[in-house]
Amino acid sequence: MARLFWVTCPFCRDRFYCHYGDLRHKPWNLRCPYCEQEFPQEDSPKIDE
Amino acid sequence: MAVVSREVEEHAPGSGGEVSLRAYLTQLELDHPEWVVHVTEPVDPAKFEVTAVLQQLELRNQYPLVIFDRPLNLLGQVCDFPIVTNVYASRQRCAVALGLGPQDFGQELALEYARREERRLQPILLPKAEAPVKQVVQTGDDADLRQFPIIRHHRMDGGPYIDMSPVVRNPETGVYNAAFLRTQYKGPRKLGLHMSPRHSWQIVRNNEERDCPTPIVIVASHHPAYFLGALNVSPYGEDDYQVIGSIMDRPLRLTASETWGDDVLVPADADILIEGEVLPNVREVEGPFGEFPGTYGPQRVRWVIDVKAITRRRNAVYQDIFTGHRDVWTMGSFPKEGAIFNRIKGVVPTVKAVHLPASGVGRFHCYISIDKKVDGESKQAALIALGAVDFVKHVVVVDSDIDVYREEEVLWAIATRVQADQDIDIIKNVKGNTLDPSQTDDILTSKMIVDATKPVRRPFEARLDIAHDVLARTVLEELIPAGQLARIRD
Repeated sequence: MARLFWVTCPFCRDRFYCHYGDLRHKPWNLRCPYCEQEFPQEDSPKIDE
Repeated sequence: MAVVSREVEEHAPGSGGEVSLRAYLTQLELDHPEWVVHVTEPVDPAKFEVTAVLQQLELRNQYPLVIFDRPLNLLGQVCDFPIVTNVYASRQRCAVALGLGPQDFGQELALEYARREERRLQPILLPKAEAPVKQVVQTGDDADLRQFPIIRHHRMDGGPYIDMSPVVRNPETGVYNAAFLRTQYKGPRKLGLHMSPRHSWQIVRNNEERDCPTPIVIVASHHPAYFLGALNVSPYGEDDYQVIGSIMDRPLRLTASETWGDDVLVPADADILIEGEVLPNVREVEGPFGEFPGTYGPQRVRWVIDVKAITRRRNAVYQDIFTGHRDVWTMGSFPKEGAIFNRIKGVVPTVKAVHLPASGVGRFHCYISIDKKVDGESKQAALIALGAVDFVKHVVVVDSDIDVYREEEVLWAIATRVQADQDIDIIKNVKGNTLDPSQTDDILTSKMIVDATKPVRRPFEARLDIAHDVLARTVLEELIPAGQLARIRD
């Protein structure tokens, strides 16, 4: 498994995870799979890595 | 179409004949009604109502082929396309799909697959007017993915996914490569595409270096033998259309695509094809997606497909694989078992059987039985299996008195014939699989050999057995009433 990080969605507060090399500290907006909102990772209330 | 070093068998035009998913399903229901169930109530596949049914069946340890007669499409309407899924969840059904008998589900299925995988059949080219998949052609805005009942499989999935098999053509060699790659619905004519660094990835990357789009044809539905053929693990550069035809045991019928004409040929007997272009150097976030190990692959930055055309049969059936469950574990297992068996047979001629069980997601665990003559043969067989298929992570070698298809027997052999300090070997830093959640490195993994065979050079305790002649003449049907036999549960 590639290194990953868990993100909490700032809109629905549910959690999902992302590929560390592709997305951590990168300028892409993340997309919540539950509420489908997009957000910069800095807006996440909690990131576990 | 490039011809590789193998001899490619030619067939007279028209010798193949049509294959049809509908015909397969009709025959299956006639021959084995106990294998098929219908869900006649409307269900919303994008809201987990298809996979919830499959999961409920799985909780009952039941794995029928399931046809959803009235699914909703992505517009929320009851649509014209029934969904068929769990097609591959039993080896018996896979055997039947390949033209074998259901009784051939064991070693026979694996060895026949391996035999066909070694052969090449030249495809047959059909005029578009004769191709069933051209009965309905949609281009431009009419090529709208929302007409289909695309399934959202698991709770964390990034959206509805098509999880069947795209084909790309290598523009330099002209050969076609088929693979199972997940594609995420992103818009009426837009899909996200995930690829690992294998054959399709290499073709797309070569095109991207020239800033060229890559034509891609998603074979979204076809006769199951086509998809079993697409599982072949032929080396890069081999033409998958030739191999798929061989595994189907009839030449694959091809026709010109709508988008690129004769430059890109497509399977003529498919139920549904989606033609598109992988846009060069364009990326978007994609995923997560519930992957084959039964865990989610993470959200990533991946490729984008611009959909150009949809072609299909008039009465097309939409097909899906319940990935991360028995459907994908079974179809991943036997196509590799025969190849592993043949490789071992060349060095350890007493090999009896090879099985990749569902408990190892049809890939990670490999059980090998041998009729061991000298100590060391078991490890030799294990090393060959590890080298033959990079998915294989844990190999258990047992004696020929153990049935590798009965996992409880394999675990019994481990319980009674293994001393961990003597019979287990760990091999570190071997190329692994990026989707294996246990890996702590992006690429490297550890592999394990468990030698659960009895030693040859010292006396060893014997397994319990019943007097053989008495066992052979004991027929339960003669001793226990049929009704009682039929209702026995554990």
